[in-house]
Amino acid sequence: MTDMSSSVRMRTSTRIYLYVSLSLIAAIVLVPLLTTALGGFKTLGDLRTNPFGLPTEWQWTNYTDILFGERYWLQIGNSLIIAALTVLLTLIVSSMAAFAFAHVRFFGSSFLLNYFLLGLMFPAATAILPLFIRIRDLGLLNTYWGVVLPQVAFGLGMSILLFRNYFRNLPEELFQAAFVDGCGYMRFFWHISLPLSRPIVATVSIISFVGSWNSYILPLIMLNSESKYPWPLGIMVYRGEYGTDWQLVLAFITLTILPTIIVFFVAQRHIIAGLTAGAVKS
Amino acid sequence: MASVELNDIRKAYGAVDVIHGISLHIEDGEFVALVGPSGCGKSTLLRMIAGLEEITDGEIAIGGNVVNAMTPRERNIAMVFQSYALYPHMTVAENMGFNLKLAGVAKPQIEARVSEAARMLDLATLLDRKPAQLSGGQRQRVAMGRAIVRNPAVFLFDEPLSNLDAKLRVQMRSEIKTLHQKVRTTSIYVTHDQIEAMTLADRIVVLNHGKVEQQGTPLELYRKPANLFVAAFIGSPAMNMLDGTVDGVNGEPAARLEDGTAIRLAPDRKVKAGQAVTVGLRPEHLIPGIAAGTPLAGRTMLVEPTGAQTHVVFDLAGQQVTAIVDGEYPARYGAVFEASIASDQVHVFDRGSGVAL
Repeated sequence: MTDMSSSVRMRTSTRIYLYVSLSLIAAIVLVPLLTTALGGFKTLGDLRTNPFGLPTEWQWTNYTDILFGERYWLQIGNSLIIAALTVLLTLIVSSMAAFAFAHVRFFGSSFLLNYFLLGLMFPAATAILPLFIRIRDLGLLNTYWGVVLPQVAFGLGMSILLFRNYFRNLPEELFQAAFVDGCGYMRFFWHISLPLSRPIVATVSIISFVGSWNSYILPLIMLNSESKYPWPLGIMVYRGEYGTDWQLVLAFITLTILPTIIVFFVAQRHIIAGLTAGAVKS
Repeated sequence: MASVELNDIRKAYGAVDVIHGISLHIEDGEFVALVGPSGCGKSTLLRMIAGLEEITDGEIAIGGNVVNAMTPRERNIAMVFQSYALYPHMTVAENMGFNLKLAGVAKPQIEARVSEAARMLDLATLLDRKPAQLSGGQRQRVAMGRAIVRNPAVFLFDEPLSNLDAKLRVQMRSEIKTLHQKVRTTSIYVTHDQIEAMTLADRIVVLNHGKVEQQGTPLELYRKPANLFVAAFIGSPAMNMLDGTVDGVNGEPAARLEDGTAIRLAPDRKVKAGQAVTVGLRPEHLIPGIAAGTPLAGRTMLVEPTGAQTHVVFDLAGQQVTAIVDGEYPARYGAVFEASIASDQVHVFDRGSGVAL
């Protein structure tokens, strides 16, 4: 057998192996999503007897009742407001902090950076009691800011790290050219760094948007008025004292994860570009 | 336009001194090239003039004003970088007009100055393109255009042609020279390429280990190198260096090589009998055949035709010596190559100090 035909065979077998592996991974991700979406079309009895199959009878009303009800749109609106504020504040604070860490030499900068990065190791749930007390003392209980500010604070470590690495990989000569052209730090940040950082802005936006969108524990602790509830708390409505309407819970979840899936598909190119920025010399 | 004055400039990174007290006066409208090997401090010196690097000690004046504490913008300089340093998200016109926009110049005036610079640099049809859509040469022209539009007191060039291929480099070199002849702005040009320095500059400053080895016009440096370092650095191919001892031949001074070959020196050379010296022979001064001057001969070790000329490398006193001969010369590997050199074209240096004698 010639070398060429053996290499072609090798490539074919490698490809088969890759396709099988990727299909398995895709199945692991897709099966729960499909089960959730299909479960939303079943009756409670159908769901209990046939949890993974197609619905015996398609219950479109599960979805239409949610979509035409007021509560869903109110909670989606609340989630959007909280997520938008979180994304905006995270972008402003983390990009400016990361710019300083990337370009300005000052006493204690590495200590301060490590302090921020420590935040990566602690989820908000571990500090929920002191957080509750602080938010209460600030008078922010049952407000959007009571959820937004802790979310921003706990997301800063990751966002600063991503922004800083990206800023540091911008060519040094670009900075010098801008300095000669008359830029100070702020003008360089605004006119040069930020416009060149669209991939990382998209990455940080999506990470903080999805994090905020799916956040459950913080709204649960900080909000007590139903009119302020984001969608994850809305699920509680379908839990009764004697039972839970699981088919409605699944339909509700399906309708709420759709926006994040759409956002992800639209921006996935930027997310990958942002996460791998600077990995290789361009 | 303005003169530039460097007065005892020093730079240290921690305990490491990289620039050891350089003083220079650059005339208004002069084109000065700073040359030297990698790490000699030429780019650091340029960046200190630009205000991108702090000065440890000394004083820099542009147009008679001390600028040590001024920002690059306040110094009224423009800089062209090796990597072009164009803003990738801006068009050619936006790149060229950015510094004027920051300075608060009115939009019609920015457009007029950008158009004028673009016309001068043949960029008029490219103004709406982004840098990624341009060739290397076009990008470098945009970088120069960005420098021109602001009408600076001094142009600073930091190895601007290093990223270009050989053919484009020659073309851009002519364009820089033409541009300087048109605008006559004081220019300081850093390069490690001595051909670039020789062809462009009114004056060359040769740097080594953070010190000025010699400064002068290109021909002064070529004809009268002050020491071994400058002699070896200026000229291509490099000067041949042969060790010898001063002796006398028929009452005239000569340097005797290890194999007994005597190379006659000009009578005005300040040499002493028995002095250990290094003799420098420029390849282009070795004339093939036996003529007036010192005859030299050796076996041909390498023949490198370049078209109009051929480089012949032959063995002399156990060392390789290069001669440049006409392209038609019938050089052959292994054959004996004979050449001669006039005594007034033989350079001689003290072997210990390296200083020209």
